[in-house]
Amino acid sequence: MKWIPQDIDTYLNAKEYVDTAVIPIYSISFGGEMKQSAAAAEFITLLTSQLERQFTGRLLLFPPFTYLKNENSEKVLNDLQNWEKNIVKGDFKHIFYLTSDIEWKAHEEKLGGALIWLPSLLLEQMTESQKVEIINSQVKQLLILFTQKWQEKG
Amino acid sequence: MSKERVSRRQFLSYTLTGVGGFMAAGMLMPMVRFAVDPVLKAEAGGDFIPTPKKVSEITKEPVRVDFKFKQKDAWYESEVTETAWVYKDDNGKIIALSPVCKHLGCTVNWNTDKEHPDQFFCPCHYGRYTKDGTNVPNTPPLAPLDVYPYKEKDGYLYLGKAKPRKEA
Ligand code: FES
Repeated sequence: MKWIPQDIDTYLNAKEYVDTAVIPIYSISFGGEMKQSAAAAEFITLLTSQLERQFTGRLLLFPPFTYLKNENSEKVLNDLQNWEKNIVKGDFKHIFYLTSDIEWKAHEEKLGGALIWLPSLLLEQMTESQKVEIINSQVKQLLILFTQKWQEKG
Repeated sequence: MSKERVSRRQFLSYTLTGVGGFMAAGMLMPMVRFAVDPVLKAEAGGDFIPTPKKVSEITKEPVRVDFKFKQKDAWYESEVTETAWVYKDDNGKIIALSPVCKHLGCTVNWNTDKEHPDQFFCPCHYGRYTKDGTNVPNTPPLAPLDVYPYKEKDGYLYLGKAKPRKEA
């Protein structure tokens, strides 16, 4: 389910079936890194929306957690932990963070949810159908990971 | 008829020239179109979209067929990819099923649940459907998978808009 009013209505009526929160994470940079930052955002957005299509009935796709690349990383981590606290309170059993920013790997342990890091792909040079194919194959991998996590905790 | 045309054109030129008229026109045009010209609506409903699948290649084993088309959302057009599970039944009739689970809308897969082979399986809450799309009792879905109407054109499969079936 997406973060739109109709889907939230469905969510509120079927809460017991929707136990998974997905949070896209990407940073915003300026200057020379601006384009790279936009590419990462595009990649994560496409990926999470495809994922949402596969698993509409079981997950809620949150709006992205964004931050400035040059911001203090303690503060950014704190903010995300705050999101997490609230999401857990909201009865989500499984939380997945999706990012292509490698720096998050260092903070993995400080988060309760699962951090999934995927290197951003250069989608720019691809045709529409290549994009779909690439993203779908990534989603297939995630599908396996998600089903595993779901089975772990029952 | 000609009177209507003029008023529609006038209406459009007014909105288009106004401030923000571009956006307003985008939102209003579909409504106006349906109001003025119900024929257009009927046409849109009967559209068949080409898929990359050759009819001669369809076998008894369900396969994923992805197809793309343009969709108008509020005021901008976007390209959507839809998927169908396509196969031929025992009588050689083509069956194209929507992969959208009738429980809460996850995408169902063919033959991925080892304990229940040759069924459609929904990984979200373990919903199941038999090959013809009928929901298996005592799994969460309460209705069979929607069916796409289809056409054959120049050897390729064309799909319409998926329609719900009666409850099993
Ligand atoms: S969405 Fe398919 S079983 Fe719940």
